[in-house]
Amino acid sequence: MTAAITFTTVTCRYGRRTAVDAVDLDVAAGEHVALTGANGSGKTTLLRAALGLHPTTGGTVTVGGESARSGVEWARRRRDVAWVPQRLAPGRFPLLVDELLDSGGHPDAAREAAGQLDVGGLGHRPLHTLSGGQLQRVFLARALGAVTAGARALFADEPTAALDFDGQEQVATLLAKLPVTVIVVSHDRAMTRACDRVAEMAAGKLRVI
Amino acid sequence: MDGFLDLLSLPAVQRSAIGLLIAAVGLPIVGVFIIGLDIIAVRFAMMHVALLGIAVGLLAGLDPMLCGLAACALAGAGVAPLARRPTGLPGAMGLLMTFAIAAALLVLSVSGVNATGAFELLWGSILATREIDLIVLGALTVVVHVLFWRWRRQLALLLFDREVALCSGVAAGPLLLALLVVVAVAIGASIRLTGALLVDALTILPALGARNLGRSLRSMVLWAVALGVVGNTAGFAVALLIDQPPGPVLVLVAGTLTLLTYLIPEGARDAIDPGRRADRGGDPVPAGQRVWQR
Repeated sequence: MTAAITFTTVTCRYGRRTAVDAVDLDVAAGEHVALTGANGSGKTTLLRAALGLHPTTGGTVTVGGESARSGVEWARRRRDVAWVPQRLAPGRFPLLVDELLDSGGHPDAAREAAGQLDVGGLGHRPLHTLSGGQLQRVFLARALGAVTAGARALFADEPTAALDFDGQEQVATLLAKLPVTVIVVSHDRAMTRACDRVAEMAAGKLRVI
Repeated sequence: MDGFLDLLSLPAVQRSAIGLLIAAVGLPIVGVFIIGLDIIAVRFAMMHVALLGIAVGLLAGLDPMLCGLAACALAGAGVAPLARRPTGLPGAMGLLMTFAIAAALLVLSVSGVNATGAFELLWGSILATREIDLIVLGALTVVVHVLFWRWRRQLALLLFDREVALCSGVAAGPLLLALLVVVAVAIGASIRLTGALLVDALTILPALGARNLGRSLRSMVLWAVALGVVGNTAGFAVALLIDQPPGPVLVLVAGTLTLLTYLIPEGARDAIDPGRRADRGGDPVPAGQRVWQR
């Protein structure tokens, strides 16, 4: 199962500053789109808005034709879209790798993905004891578990930022094989090459597709 | 030693010992929540909120302690929306504390009740524990354990990171609300039952020690309860043996235990962690379900 994602004149603000300015973007079901652009151009905010983690001041985002307004609808949206966050939370409280992997909805799949991503033996480790690259791989494995559990799309926000070159290639190859809709924020060439389409954001606007 | 045994045979001392044991099983978990939410100032805030509730109760001719607890519950629920603000819950506790004390003093002034008298209603002592206090403590302990064991996976994610919890299907808002109400009522009731000084020894100190030892929420809770039981039992016994007030002795013993946890090396913490378990890989996922390999 995969789902088309439609952003229609999505606008987000931080106070008076417009971070995302009337963005329109159609992503076909199963399509992989890379979102690039300078720091602060609104890429992360756009994805967070689609997950209900940042309020929109205008516009809508639909996944599989469904918009989200109520708490129940946002909960469904977050089940529908697996997420790899940019700001990888080291957490202010201890959480084990296994606990994070389990939270994706398909513990076995997440653990198997963790094994493929070379973080399979870290299950009992608290997340704050991992390196940045290990943490990123664990969040990615969790997202793959969520996809196995039924998520129809995956948003990944700079999923290779903390990885070495081999790791970047490995993750790009892995994401390219995913049979769900993928929107990935990335500055990594291996990742953008692996996508069907590249969109660029600048100053809150989607400029080039 | 005979004096110690004589003291233990007194019904009031027996009730105190039972009360401390019940408190040691439940309140350290509240302490873990408090540290997880970063609201160590909650005791001061709830003390003043309870005072405001008592003042309103006295003014309205209602049961002042019930009003105090209701005020704590309302305050706990009221600060939940502030968790997402930049100043977060710690800021909310500061606001609540100053706001509540000012409002309480104003209400007391209007009602003509002496502030010290109202405070005395709030100030309990473990040696004055009544049977009804034991029942209240027992009920609190049950509620705290049910909250933790029923929702511990969700709580672990929520206390780790709210957004990760949201994206894992956790109803973060209602769970945070429940957590804050339980913490607020537990602290408000405990101040009445054990006295303000002991509340810290029963909640924060075991949780601080557990934070040093635990590698997950579950292991922290187990450590906190263990430290609470050891600290309370030892502290109360020492207080009886040296014939001194149990409050300060308990705090000093619990504080010493907590200090000792800072001295345990990292490697040794791993070895003694009750939540430690062998790494396990996932069971093989059937090829048809292995969706990341199309």
